[in-house]
Amino acid sequence: MSNVLIVDDSSTMRKIITRSLRQAGLAVDNILEAGDGIEGLNALGSGSVDLILSDINMPNMDGLEFVKQARAQGCTAPIMMITTEGGEDIIGEALNSGANGSIRKPFTPDQLQEKLGGLL
Amino acid sequence: MSLNAKVMECAHVQENEMTRYIVDAASEVFATMVGLEIEDCYPLVEPVTQFHCSVTGMVGMAGSYTGMLSIHCPALLAMKVTSNMLGMEVDEVGDDVNDALGEIANMLGGHVKQVLSKGGLDLNLSIPTVISGETYTIRSIIDDDCVVIPFQCDGDRFLVGLTLRKEN
Repeated sequence: MSNVLIVDDSSTMRKIITRSLRQAGLAVDNILEAGDGIEGLNALGSGSVDLILSDINMPNMDGLEFVKQARAQGCTAPIMMITTEGGEDIIGEALNSGANGSIRKPFTPDQLQEKLGGLL
Repeated sequence: MSLNAKVMECAHVQENEMTRYIVDAASEVFATMVGLEIEDCYPLVEPVTQFHCSVTGMVGMAGSYTGMLSIHCPALLAMKVTSNMLGMEVDEVGDDVNDALGEIANMLGGHVKQVLSKGGLDLNLSIPTVISGETYTIRSIIDDDCVVIPFQCDGDRFLVGLTLRKEN
């Protein structure tokens, strides 16, 4: 069983990511959704997650703070940032906070497969 | 009407190059996320401030530069775009359309941010704002420092605008 948590304030983007994961043929059994970092932390507290895909620019708690707090709470699942924020410094900050990598929006299912294939 | 010369000088980019970045970004977003082909037209010479039966998604930029990236889409096309993004029929302008247009603005804003700020920490993008209605007006005090690019899509036309100023 692979549980994936998608943290993104856009419901449209959460649906596109979900569809793209299926189209990419990745081994995903269950998808959890959260609309910001706070909801993401709550979701982590309610069950096991094998992979986290998180946006950066979100209201209430952004993706960088979410990654920091998730790691501080002991979350060891791989965290990939899926974001329009492609700058080296901001991605570097995400990696320093505990993220494992990044995927730039917009993306194709093939690009998801390439980035996530080894994690699921 | 043109992009602010000081912005272009500081970003080491010509206006036609910035226009090309926006066109390429919009084409990529529509091809990969929307599944529709678009064709760009020559940038407008006057800003558009009044909209009818439309949806406007906007992302603000603040930091080394201030400005706004916006996409203005007729309601029918906005519903078509949203239907394609969600993979289901959408026949009213509501939360789904607002979210989809906001996310497109967000992705386009992210591209522009990468052009203006290679590192990414000196320029912040706002959370998207979306306006829709039968008739509405959008004005900015820096309307003259902008570029507006029309696009043809599925027999309809939408606009992408970028307004920018350099902060001291």
